[in-house]
Amino acid sequence: MNNLAWRGIVIVGAAALALWAAYPPKEKINLGLDLQGGIHLVLQVETVDALRAETDKDMERLRQELLDQGLAGVQNERTGDTAFVLRGVEQTGEPVVAKAAASFLPGWDWRRVGDELRFEMTSPHSRGLEEMAINQALQTIRNRIDEFGVAEPVIARQGLDSNRIVVQLPGVDDPDRVKRLIKNTAFLEFRLVDYPPGGGGAPTREAILDHYGGSLPPTVELFTEDTRDRQGRLTGQVFYALEKKRVITGRDLRSASPGSGQFNQPVVQFSLTPDGGRLFGDATGANVGRGLAIVLDGKVMSAPRINSRIGDSGIIEGRFTSQEVQDLVTVLRSGALPAAITYLEDRTVGPSLGADSIRSGLRAGLIGTALVVVAMLVVYLGSGINAILMLGVNVILIFGALAYFGATLTLPGIAGIVLTVGMAVDASVLVFERIREELRAGRTVKAAVDAGFGNALSSILDANITTLIAALFLFQFGTGPVRGFAVTLSIGILGTLFAMVFGSRWLFDLRLARDPRLEKLSI
Amino acid sequence: MQLLRDTNIDFLKYRRFWIAFSLAVIAVGLVAIFYHGKLNVGIDFAGGTQATLKFSERPDVQALRDIAGGAGFREAVIQRFGEVGTNEVMVRIPIVEGSEEGGGADLLAALDARYNPGAGGALDVNRSGSDALAALLAERDPDGVGAAAAVSHYEGVADAILAVRKDLGLFTGWSQVSGAPGVSGAVSSLLQSQARLGSFAVLSLENVGPQVGAELRQRGVLAVVFSLLAMMVYIWIRFELRFGIGAVMASLHDVLVTVGLFALAGFEFNLTTVAAFLALVGYSINDTVVVFDRVRENMRKHRTEPLMQLMNRSINQTLSRTVLTAGTTLLASGTLLFLGGEVIRGFAFVMTIGVIVGTYSSIFIAAPFALLWEQLVGRRGEAADKPAATAGKGAPAPAKPGARRRGQS
Repeated sequence: MNNLAWRGIVIVGAAALALWAAYPPKEKINLGLDLQGGIHLVLQVETVDALRAETDKDMERLRQELLDQGLAGVQNERTGDTAFVLRGVEQTGEPVVAKAAASFLPGWDWRRVGDELRFEMTSPHSRGLEEMAINQALQTIRNRIDEFGVAEPVIARQGLDSNRIVVQLPGVDDPDRVKRLIKNTAFLEFRLVDYPPGGGGAPTREAILDHYGGSLPPTVELFTEDTRDRQGRLTGQVFYALEKKRVITGRDLRSASPGSGQFNQPVVQFSLTPDGGRLFGDATGANVGRGLAIVLDGKVMSAPRINSRIGDSGIIEGRFTSQEVQDLVTVLRSGALPAAITYLEDRTVGPSLGADSIRSGLRAGLIGTALVVVAMLVVYLGSGINAILMLGVNVILIFGALAYFGATLTLPGIAGIVLTVGMAVDASVLVFERIREELRAGRTVKAAVDAGFGNALSSILDANITTLIAALFLFQFGTGPVRGFAVTLSIGILGTLFAMVFGSRWLFDLRLARDPRLEKLSI
Repeated sequence: MQLLRDTNIDFLKYRRFWIAFSLAVIAVGLVAIFYHGKLNVGIDFAGGTQATLKFSERPDVQALRDIAGGAGFREAVIQRFGEVGTNEVMVRIPIVEGSEEGGGADLLAALDARYNPGAGGALDVNRSGSDALAALLAERDPDGVGAAAAVSHYEGVADAILAVRKDLGLFTGWSQVSGAPGVSGAVSSLLQSQARLGSFAVLSLENVGPQVGAELRQRGVLAVVFSLLAMMVYIWIRFELRFGIGAVMASLHDVLVTVGLFALAGFEFNLTTVAAFLALVGYSINDTVVVFDRVRENMRKHRTEPLMQLMNRSINQTLSRTVLTAGTTLLASGTLLFLGGEVIRGFAFVMTIGVIVGTYSSIFIAAPFALLWEQLVGRRGEAADKPAATAGKGAPAPAKPGARRRGQS
C-alpha cells in the first residue's frame, strides 16, 4: 500500500472512530448543567465543629477515667476549639492524670499552669480529625444523594487540600429539598428530661429558670421545641431542661424506616444496635415516669413520657409530613454529618432555561456553520468543498473526543465549537491563499499545492499553538462552564491541525494522484 | 472569487494617528468604567444572588424593584431577559452581609407574598418538584389505582406534567396541565382544587457567596494575565522580543477597547465573558502571528529592505487572508450574537467586537508597536527605515540586555 492509502486510512479511521464514540449524541455527550438544568453546589465543611465535638468527648472521657481511678472533684471546661482545662487536680494526682492521658488521649499535650492542667490537641491530630471529618462528610453526602436517585451525580472534594465539596446534580427539579437533605446534619440524640417532669415542655424560658432558682445547674441544658398547628404552621415554642448526658445518639441506630403512628400520622421507626439497645433499655427502665426528649440537630422533636422499659426499637414522632419522614429516614440511614455545612456557591438552572439555551445555541450553530460553508464555496469554488469536508471531519472529531473523554458540553462549549468552525476555516484560508499566490507566480498545480502547504504550515502552527496556550490557562484557572469552553477550544485546535492540514493535504494529493498533470485547480 | 489581490496600501504611514485613535477609544471606555461606574459586574465576581423569573403576565420592573426594596434589597438590579413577550426578568441582589448563603429565599418569599397572595400552603405546580407533586397525588389517588400501584403511577403522571412545564417554562392555565399525556380528568380536577398555579416560575436561582466571588475574581484576572504573558514568551521564543511586545500590545489593545464597548453596551461581566475575552486574546494573537510570520519570512528573503516597507508589504500580502478569516469568524460569532439566545449574548458580543477590533489591531497596531519598540529601546541610534537586519526562525532577540529586562517587566 502506498503512502496515500495509509493517510486515507488514518483520516477516515479517525473520523469513523469519532462517529462511533459520539453516536447517538443524546446518550454519549454529557450535557452541562446550564444545558440540561440541575444544581451546582460548592459547600464548605465547618471542620471546627468536628474539632469541638472531639474535644468535648475526650475531655469527658478523661474526667470519667479520673473518677474511676478515684480522683473525684475534678472539673473540666473547654477553653477553645482544641483546648480544655482540668481544675481541682492536686500535685499528687498528676501521675494518675499522666497515665490516663497517655492511654486515652494520645493526640493531646498537657502542662500545668497554676492550679489548672491545660490540654491542647496536637496539630497532626487535629489535622487528621479535620481530614476525617471531610471524608466522612463526603461519604455521608454520597449516601444521601444515592438514596435520592440522581443519574450521574458529581460529588467530589474541590482540590486536594480544601474543606470544600463540589456537588453537581444534573436534571434535579427540586433544589430546596436536595439542599435541605444534604445540609441536614441529622445529629440525633436521646436525652432525659430534667424539668418539667412527665411529658410536655414549659411555656416560657423563665418557668425553667425559676424552677432552678435563677440559673441552670451544670448538668442540664436548655432546649426548645417548635409547636405547630394541624396544618403544620409554626405556632410557638416550648422549653425543656435536658440532661447534658446523652442516653444514645444516631450512631446507635441500626436502621430507620418510615411508618405510621397511632393516629395514622407519618413517623420514623427505628431499631438500635445491640449495644445501643442495652444502653437504651437500662436508661428507660431506670427512669419510668420521666420524659425522654428526642433531639434532632439541637431541636426537640418530641418528649414523650417513658411508660415502661423500651428495648431496641421505637418511633420518632414530630408532626412530620410524609416527605419529611422520608428525608429524615434517608439522613438517619446515611449517618450524621460530622460537622455543619455552609453553601458557598449555589446555582440552580431550571430545565426550561436549559432547553431554551440548547435550542437557540444549536440553531445559531447550524446557521453559522451554513453561512461559513456558503462563504467558502463562493470564495474558493472547488477547493472550498475540500475545506468543507475537512470542517465536517473536524466537528465529528470534536464530538468524538468530548464523548470519549467524558467531557461536558456547556453553552460556552457550543460557542467554542462555533468559534472553532470560524477559526478552522482560517487554516484553510491560509493554505489556499498561499496556493493562489504560487499559482499566480506561474507554478504548476502540484508545485503550488506543495509550496502552499509548506509555507502556510509555520503560520498555522504558531497561530494555533498561541491559541492553545490561552486555552490551557483558561482550563487551569477557569471553573464550571469556562472549563467546558477551554476543553472544546483545545480539542477544536488539535482537530483543526489534524483535519485542515493533514486531511486537507490528503484530499489535494488524492486529486493530483488521479490526474498528475492537472493544469487548472478550482480555487 | 478573489479579494484584495495585489494591494499596495501604506498602512503604516499614519501609524501615529491610528495609535492615538485607539488610545482615545480606550480612554472613553475606561472613563465609562471607572468614572461612571458603568461596568456591570455579575454575581460571579461581585458575589450575590441572581434569579431568572418567568411571569404569567408582563412584569412591571418598577413594582419588582419596590418588592425587592421592601424585602431589604435596595440595591437590586432588575432587567428584562430574553425576547419580548417571554415575560422573563433577571433580578440580582448583592451579597447579604455576614452570610455566605445569600438572600434568595427572602426574595422569593417577598415575590410570593405580592404575586401569589392568599395562596396558603397549597402546592404551586409552577414551582414544585416532581416528588412533591407525585406525593400529593398518591395521597389522594384520584385515578383509584390503589395504594400499591399509586407511587409509581403518580410519579409517571408528575413527570409528564413537569415535562410539559419544561417546554413552556410556566403554566398559565389549567388546560395546559390537563393537556399533558396521561393526565386524567380526575387528576386535573384534584390539582385544581388542592394545588395552585403561581403567577411566576423560577427558571434559575444562583447564589455566589463573598468568599467564592473573591476567588473567582482572582482566578479570572490570573487567567488573563498569565495567558498574555505565556503567549508573549512563546512569540519571543519563536520570533523576537519586539514582535512579542507588538503582539501583546495589540491583544491588550483589543481587550481594553472591547471591555470599554462592552461596558457601554451594559452587558454583564461574568465567568462566561471572561472566557470570551480569553478567546478574543487567542484570536487576536492568532491574527497578529500570521502577519508577523510573513514579516519573518520576508526578512529572510530581503535582508536589506527597510523594516517599515517590509512590514507594509507583509501586511498587504496577508490582507486577503486577514479579511477572509475575519469574515468567516464574524459569520459564526455574529449568528451567535443575533440568534444564540440571551445566555450567550454577552459572550457573542465580545467575540464579534473582538474579531473586528482584533483584525484592525493586527494591521494598524501590532506592527507599529513593534516599530515603536524598535525606535525606543530596540537598537538605539538605528532608525526604523534602516535595513531590518537578520532574524531567522527561532533566533533569539538581538536586543541589549537592558531592553530585554524592560521587556519582561
